[in-house]
Amino acid sequence: MDNLTSYLVISGILFSLGIFGVMTRRNGVAILMGIELILNSASLNFVAFNRFGGMHRLDGHVFSIFIIVLAAAEAAVALAIIINLFKNLETVNVDQADSMKG
Amino acid sequence: MSEVFFILIAAITIASAIWVVFSSNLIYSAVALLFTLFGVAGLYVFLYADFIAATQVVVYVGGILVLIIFGVMLTNKIADNRISHSSRPRFMAGVISFFIFVLVMTVIFTTTWHTGEEQIATATVNTIGEMILTTYLLPFEVASLVLLAALMGSALLSRKKHG
Amino acid sequence: MSNLLSLSDYLPEMILLGVILIAIVMDLVPATKRFTKGFILVGLILVAAFLYQGDTSASSLFMGMSAHDPFGTFFKWLFIIATFFVVLIAKYDDGMDQSIAAEFNILLLIVMFGLFLMATATNLVMVYLAIETVSISSYILAGMLRNDIKSNEASLKYVIFGAFASGLMLYGFSWLYGLSGSTDLTIIRDVLMTQEGPVFVVYISILMVLVGIGYKLSMVPFHYWTPDVYEGAPTPLTAYLSVAPKAAGLALMIRFFTMTFTDGAGETVANVDWTVLIAVLSAITMTVGNLLALRQENVKRLFAFSSIAHAGYMLMVIPVISTDSSAAIMFYLVPYLFMNLGAFFVAIAVSNHTGSYDLAGWKGLGKRTPLLAALMVIFLVSLTGLPPTAGFIGKVYLFSVLIKHQQFYWLAVVAVINSVIALFYYFRIVREMYFTDSDDTEPLRPHPILTWSIISCVIPVLVLGLYWSPVIDWVTASLKMF
Repeated sequence: MDNLTSYLVISGILFSLGIFGVMTRRNGVAILMGIELILNSASLNFVAFNRFGGMHRLDGHVFSIFIIVLAAAEAAVALAIIINLFKNLETVNVDQADSMKG
Repeated sequence: MSEVFFILIAAITIASAIWVVFSSNLIYSAVALLFTLFGVAGLYVFLYADFIAATQVVVYVGGILVLIIFGVMLTNKIADNRISHSSRPRFMAGVISFFIFVLVMTVIFTTTWHTGEEQIATATVNTIGEMILTTYLLPFEVASLVLLAALMGSALLSRKKHG
Repeated sequence: MSNLLSLSDYLPEMILLGVILIAIVMDLVPATKRFTKGFILVGLILVAAFLYQGDTSASSLFMGMSAHDPFGTFFKWLFIIATFFVVLIAKYDDGMDQSIAAEFNILLLIVMFGLFLMATATNLVMVYLAIETVSISSYILAGMLRNDIKSNEASLKYVIFGAFASGLMLYGFSWLYGLSGSTDLTIIRDVLMTQEGPVFVVYISILMVLVGIGYKLSMVPFHYWTPDVYEGAPTPLTAYLSVAPKAAGLALMIRFFTMTFTDGAGETVANVDWTVLIAVLSAITMTVGNLLALRQENVKRLFAFSSIAHAGYMLMVIPVISTDSSAAIMFYLVPYLFMNLGAFFVAIAVSNHTGSYDLAGWKGLGKRTPLLAALMVIFLVSLTGLPPTAGFIGKVYLFSVLIKHQQFYWLAVVAVINSVIALFYYFRIVREMYFTDSDDTEPLRPHPILTWSIISCVIPVLVLGLYWSPVIDWVTASLKMF
């Protein structure tokens, strides 16, 4: 079980679930959770390849650190935006935020 | 023994991820996300990535997840089920995601990935620290700028309004 | 090159960082607060001076993270010009919240730093970080008008689509890493070249990378955010977004697709024919952009769709793998920068008067303010691509690439049809300005700085329409990539 393919399959499942979440959810915070799943799957891929792919260095590890750092920055900004919208509109549903059409 | 652990962790990760996207209550989703993130951290341990596992727990669970839970609580009345669950037509999304899933699986099982000697289990912190201050110095510095921008921006957006 | 030695080629970026940090401090100190904008403008000129001083050799900086080459320098000039104009006029847009003008300018500089990185990144880590630097700051900038619901919505849509697109791109990156064992673009290319194709995984990875870059270019079908963000964001930012990140996205695309995904001899890697894919997407992009622009009543939305169409025109030549296509794109970007900024600045001047961006507000502008209307006509003629403007010359160069290499003739036909469609909506604005009367006969009085900015945008559009060889020489000299 402890081989590259099983990690890639787990990551693939997380990735597909993340996409499903982003597509079905309307609540901004819930969409953000789906995006976190996608980022986690990519990060898992990097670390798995790093262990099994015969990479001499830890590039995959460093990449996933940067993914985690930027995910944190993105989540902070996204939530500030969502809360700001909520204060003005009393909703966080993406499709109720529709004052612009065309 | 470690085989059993691996299967257990993988099962928890996937099951809770399913819960994250299907649960009709956002608080439950957020709690399920906690288990997913811990599960991924466990997988990192299996991949000999001790430092990434620790970072995952500290930043994701301790930071991002707490932010998300704050977000849920600040924008939802917990008792109000109406707001928490309203989804777009799930059928099409399900078909598309299943298609993507099949695509990803096809890629995984048909590709010959880069191969070589498998990494052995050692402490990775030293190497990562060294790499961040040599090869990855520029990205490291840029990341600090991004965090500065995010800090400024979040403060700006959530600051009290004038008038 | 090692990190320490790289610094000497990195002076413009370091000056820019210094300007950002000092500006943040200046804005906090009450005594220096009102000089912040002036300081930023001087700082931008300083960055430009150091960029001009820099040598024209091509080298790799920071241990393979970033490149120092004439190709990147060309794009950096475009970013500096765009940022300078936007910082200059941001204050004269009445829709802006002046209490946060300094934060707006500082975040704009951080976006510009990210654009610099995008144009020079040679490593997957750097590509990801550069895109995120630009994106995260842009999300904040789009949502800056906190009391304006449209601005809130714009930033929400922007952040959700953006994070999703960059997540997909990252997944593609992870596969490229798994295939090649490296995050360096040149090593990835070398490994991909050895693959016997067609390799399915390479195709899917390219698709995923295309999502991330296509999002920045607002390429169809990743354009959904564009009209709403353009409409909701503060207009100076809209002007900036329509120009600078698009140019950076194209720079990244050229580096990625014509460097990494080809073998250097005009063939695609691993027998994965992505050229047809991009050709089709380019045709769809320009058609969708132009058709949807036809029924817009809001000037900002109209220009959003127009900018989608222009992205389509520029993407048209990417499938022709040769340096000619990069040269044509780079040449087109120069007039595109000026005509788009100029058109948006005129829109700001009009909306300062009418208080909205409805097309109806442009009625009778030809009589009320002849100068502004005449300048707008020049921008519109250039955007349509008619002589004697620079937009025409740029389009000719784009078409000539397809004809010279005798590929994708059908794409040229689609582009010509699209230019005709574009004529309708651009000239709707002209009709409003000259052939309809308004009850409001009061002339517009834009601030002199706004007027002079518009005039300085019109000069290159006209001059390059008649005498463009210096720019072509500059572009040819800038084709050298690391």
